[in-house]
Amino acid sequence: MNSSRLASIKDIQAFVRNSPKIHIIGSGSKTGLHGPVKDSAVADMTNLRGIVKYLPEEYTLTVRAGTPVREIQAELQKNGQYLPFDPIDPAQATIGGAVASNLSGSRRFRYGGPRDFILGAHVVDGLGRAFGVGSQVVKNAAGFDLSKFLVGSLGRYALMTEMTFKVFPDAPTFSGLRLEYRSLSDLLTALYFINQNAHELDALDFEPQERGWSLLARLTGFEETLPRRLARFVETLKIHTDLLDAVELGADETVWQALNKLSLAAQAAYLVKVVLSPKQIPSFDAMIPAVRRRYSAGGSAAWVATDDIEQLDAVLKQQSLSGLCIRGDVESSLVGKTIDNVLADRVKQVFDPQNKFV
Amino acid sequence: MNRRFFEELEQIYPSERILTRDVELLPYESDALTAFQTKPGAVVLPLSTDEIIATVRLCHEMGVPFMARGSGTSLSGGSLPIPDGLVIALNRLNRIKRIDPQQGIAVVEPGVVNLHISEAVRQYGLYYAPDPSSQSVCTIGGNIAFNSGGAHCLKYGMTSNHVLAMKVVLADGAVTQFGSDSLEGVGIGPDLVGLFVGSEGLFGIALEITLRLMPLPETYRTVMAAYDDLERAGNAVSMVVASGLLPGAMEIMDRLAIKAVQQAVAAGYPDDAEALLIVELEGDALQVEAEFAALQGLIRESGAFDIRVADTEEERQRIWKGRKSAFSAVGRLSPDYIVQDGVVPRSRLGEALQQIAALKEKHGLQVANVFHAGDGNLHPLILYDGRQPGALEKAEALAGEILALCISLGGSITGEHGVGMEKRDYMPAMFSEQEMDIMQALRLAIDPKEIANRGKMFPDGEAPALKLTGMHPLEKQGVISRE
Repeated sequence: MNSSRLASIKDIQAFVRNSPKIHIIGSGSKTGLHGPVKDSAVADMTNLRGIVKYLPEEYTLTVRAGTPVREIQAELQKNGQYLPFDPIDPAQATIGGAVASNLSGSRRFRYGGPRDFILGAHVVDGLGRAFGVGSQVVKNAAGFDLSKFLVGSLGRYALMTEMTFKVFPDAPTFSGLRLEYRSLSDLLTALYFINQNAHELDALDFEPQERGWSLLARLTGFEETLPRRLARFVETLKIHTDLLDAVELGADETVWQALNKLSLAAQAAYLVKVVLSPKQIPSFDAMIPAVRRRYSAGGSAAWVATDDIEQLDAVLKQQSLSGLCIRGDVESSLVGKTIDNVLADRVKQVFDPQNKFV
Repeated sequence: MNRRFFEELEQIYPSERILTRDVELLPYESDALTAFQTKPGAVVLPLSTDEIIATVRLCHEMGVPFMARGSGTSLSGGSLPIPDGLVIALNRLNRIKRIDPQQGIAVVEPGVVNLHISEAVRQYGLYYAPDPSSQSVCTIGGNIAFNSGGAHCLKYGMTSNHVLAMKVVLADGAVTQFGSDSLEGVGIGPDLVGLFVGSEGLFGIALEITLRLMPLPETYRTVMAAYDDLERAGNAVSMVVASGLLPGAMEIMDRLAIKAVQQAVAAGYPDDAEALLIVELEGDALQVEAEFAALQGLIRESGAFDIRVADTEEERQRIWKGRKSAFSAVGRLSPDYIVQDGVVPRSRLGEALQQIAALKEKHGLQVANVFHAGDGNLHPLILYDGRQPGALEKAEALAGEILALCISLGGSITGEHGVGMEKRDYMPAMFSEQEMDIMQALRLAIDPKEIANRGKMFPDGEAPALKLTGMHPLEKQGVISRE
């Protein structure tokens, strides 16, 4: 492994031109994504950091790719704003890694993922060309939307050096709720009910307990109305769903920080994100009853902690689902159904014809 | 298009679904960029995705340019036909194939009309959020091609933010799909949905689209405030943003637009205002009530001389009716107009409007301003009389200067209408030569013969002839309006 800490666009361009195989790394917090480091030149992005431009009145933020997420969050917080796609593991992650891996925390539920908030980016492609995609304003329809393409691209098409995001005002306060259900089936019925009613939840996660299942909801808003909104929400669920119990968690950020740190990861050799929809959960879940797991963002993603990655790979293939191994020692981070696509191949031809980025 | 091409086309379609006679082609010769008109070689009316795929493959094989058309409401000339090319008219592929209210998704064909989706899912308490002004006629396929927006995009985003999955045929005939029923959409791997949406028909045709539906807001609260100058209205927007509120919509109209609306629909707007601001909050009733109290306080502080709150849904609809009909109303003041949709950073709105005022003096033309103030998306309407020789060219010169202004203020040449045919010459002002080359290389990697919607987005494309004057026929009937 030959790692270079790159601090300027010129350095990056030279590095790309001179390296036959390149693997991009931020803080390295998502160990599962970095199998290829063994056989490639490593572009360490952590020196390319800092906020380039933050305009709270425009809801826009431009940052260098290696900037730690927590630094960005602290700056936004000073103006009562936040990144609504809620990058995971902010204490360790860089913003470039968050975008390239498309990993969001629980609060993604309210407004969307990185794809919904990225406005533009600067990149260096596999030919060493430095250029911009997208724009720096909250609305733009000119040109191909290549900045969205980079979300989830895992560093295999181009190296992002800088990105611009839309940011939003955060609500003054929030409160959490733990809602207990007898079974996954009862819980999903409640989820479907919630999906058709405008409760405007900020986050909605669920996981199995020793007995039954618990649904974790977060509401944001004003101090004076939040208690009434919570009460109304619980009351509605009591009437329309088989709610066993509801526990108010208050404005305790540690509950959500623990989820966002993916504490599941400590309990097994591998942590995998699976993309699924709520209706795919029952049959998937039935196949991994003994595995630690949590469903996030209203059941649109699963975090699965396992010691047997091969078994999970087989289950995912059987269920026609794809997963991304973000923690653990693996050759390839992609598990389950393959994600090859002819349109992505065409972009690869243009951005990285020599297949340098791995 | 040669004889062999038509023979092959007849293998795909019965003769009544291949249109070639002048009178049949006429409705397809223009879109909502009314100044332009082009005659296509033929129009086909597919009834299935297999027919579309076969058509695209035939066009690719024989090098015949094609453009996929929905209702033809593009404001940027994006749905103008290619001279002697094929129009693939998708209106008959208008089935909503699946509605899953529990997961909040709908799977639709490209010819489905935007508003029909919300109408179909209202019974489940859901709606499809993006609301272009032409939503009663424009199709999802067109919305996808141009990443359409609307007045309510500040909070929940544009079309792209509401598409979860697609099946598409690329311009070279390859068929592929990406995304899922999950809110994550593509989720793992590059976001191909995001890349395809907004590609202006240059990558291929969307055959089947999975859309995200949202719960209908429990309540809306709408306030309208009148100001004696535009800058004050612009400052009010900045105050709202600084306060931490996130309205669903923030719209401003200037004096000429207000006057036109009052004459056309009597929306109850104050006649003597220089600027009118509409702010709307939406969502959970308890939350919105608290936010609305804060909003009213801000509006009072902002120096408005007249503040009106919509107390009933009827009053709210009246306020919006005025705003949504602003373009057709301005159309009554003048035989023709050009509408631009450049974007400037929100904090530079005041500066942009002052400079537009100076530009209109310089060119001796009237300009009405209607805009999505929340996201800095201008909509200057440049009035001209197409019957006067040189008038269109003069209006276009002013339009060009407004686009250059948007770029110089750090914005974009288009917020939601797309580049199309209209703004293609301004792309190099926004993107470097290298960036243009890379986008062109990407296009060629997908469409080596440049047959898909040729002449759009990139400069030096084929130029359709200038011809039309006056409002779009549908606009005259009040069916569509330009936003």
